[in-house]
Amino acid sequence: MTNRLCYVCEGGDCTEKGSGDIFDKLRDLVKEFDPGEERIKIRRYPCFGACEQGINVTLYPDKVFYSTVTEADLPEIAAHIKGEGEPVTRLTGKCQPDVEQIIWDMLDSPY
Amino acid sequence: MSIVDLEAKIPNNVGLRDNKRLTMALEKWQPKFLDWWNTVGPSDFNKHDIYLRTAIGVGQGGWAHFDYVKMPDYRWGIFLADGPADRKIHFGDQVGEAAWQEVPGEFRNRLRRLIVTQGDTEPASVEQQRMLGHCCPSLYDLRSLFQVNVEEGRHLWAMVYLLQTHFGADGRDEAEAMLERHSGDVDNPRILQAFNYPVTNWLDFFCFTAFMDRDGKYQLASLAESSFDPLARTTQFMLAEEAYHLQTGENGVGRIVKRTGELMAEGKDPRTVGAIPLEVIQRYINFWFTGSMDLFGGEDSTNAAESFANGLKGRYRESDGIYKDPKALNANYSLEVPTEDGKIEKKDIPLRRAMNAVLLDAYIADCRRIVDRWNRDLEKTGVSARVYLPDHKFNRHQGIYAGFRFTPQGELIDEATWTHKHTEWLPTQADRDYVNSCMVKVTEPGKFANYIAPPAQGVNNQSLDFEYVKFH
Repeated sequence: MTNRLCYVCEGGDCTEKGSGDIFDKLRDLVKEFDPGEERIKIRRYPCFGACEQGINVTLYPDKVFYSTVTEADLPEIAAHIKGEGEPVTRLTGKCQPDVEQIIWDMLDSPY
Repeated sequence: MSIVDLEAKIPNNVGLRDNKRLTMALEKWQPKFLDWWNTVGPSDFNKHDIYLRTAIGVGQGGWAHFDYVKMPDYRWGIFLADGPADRKIHFGDQVGEAAWQEVPGEFRNRLRRLIVTQGDTEPASVEQQRMLGHCCPSLYDLRSLFQVNVEEGRHLWAMVYLLQTHFGADGRDEAEAMLERHSGDVDNPRILQAFNYPVTNWLDFFCFTAFMDRDGKYQLASLAESSFDPLARTTQFMLAEEAYHLQTGENGVGRIVKRTGELMAEGKDPRTVGAIPLEVIQRYINFWFTGSMDLFGGEDSTNAAESFANGLKGRYRESDGIYKDPKALNANYSLEVPTEDGKIEKKDIPLRRAMNAVLLDAYIADCRRIVDRWNRDLEKTGVSARVYLPDHKFNRHQGIYAGFRFTPQGELIDEATWTHKHTEWLPTQADRDYVNSCMVKVTEPGKFANYIAPPAQGVNNQSLDFEYVKFH
């Protein structure tokens, strides 16, 4: 089983911007080529703290932090997950580096 | 997908209609809950129409419904998140075995204690906050307070459901006892000390929801990993509601900090215009953050080790597979330990014994993030002053730092220094009196008290001048 992990923020701001639909649609897109979660697990995450830049989606261990994600971006993100595309750079680098680092610190847990 | 029964006397997705014995037990408890709400809840506001979110299902899309509700008519329901029927235990000594649908006899007492301790906090916070509506800074904030209150009430229902379903007569007694203990009651207080602290103003409330409810998030998240499947699924759904409570606190303190910064940037002394000076806000942060850390339990804990080994409480996001060893057997945790001769030493302890500390680390990182966010807003106002998160050793009454004195920067000090300096670090009675004096009641739609900035947006896409509470 893969350790690759995608989080979609379901904090208050992101939820109000429609992160629930983003989660469902991204999961459906990824299921088309990875129905058994062998390449990546897609999970909801309570809040990354980059609320102003929401909707936020992270990929680990790639350490790609996507912000201002909309439904139109999902095919490109799914292609990146599939290995058929590069990170969608127009959606990266939008939030504070220290906010990004918090989630990577947690996922890089030494334990 | 579970079937949601919204027409039942108690809305639920746990098949209450097919379980007459449990339905009778819960329907017997329901009037006692309402009596508790009407006695020690925010009962002065029972007649008002409040624009509230009510849980109506467990799916991500459309799990809640917004409408005007009188609080006693709120539909407190029982909802468990959907999960796989063949869920497996994913941490501890029994990794790979089937998750439990019933309580194993050997873990009965420990699980009951975990559920009762969690459950006791839910009504406690409602009691602590019951008078705040009389000094609300806006209708928007008044609605937020009541949203938090009714959902804490629903979380009590969630824990009572588990007790009455899985713990027989003992569980029914515990459910009754949770309505009999009261916050701050000298004879029968709430179980955890921080839930007996008075919450007398909105800075208290926002600090409470920013820090204490955030502790709740981490405790719920660790229970959401539990091998006892009904507990895991119950707490998973509670986390969805709890997110709003954290946001209320994070944004609330942030808005007070921002308003103070705006006034300072205009060259005004916050005290002259009914706002709250940053040094007072800092002392409140120090108080509530440190009180919240005490709720995690001892950093070096055999109880925590056993709860992990037995599969009762996991690490934060354990099921995402982010930890190297799901049994946590082959690693140590490095702990800062104070010594009798006034030094701090590093001491390695087995990772399992450090499970409270591991959870606390995740909590502190989260708190650091929100303080950084407040400081970014402060920076935007143009002032150079900042707020900070005190060191994890400061002002602790539980765990390995209890009994020692530390500065907010983490320096070990003697008792005399503490006595001389602690009023610079923790709220004084004069601070409380001053903050209470700022608590003017504002109920005109779209208006806010002068100590707090308006939020960035309204609730559920409503405007800021929406009539979130109708008093007629």
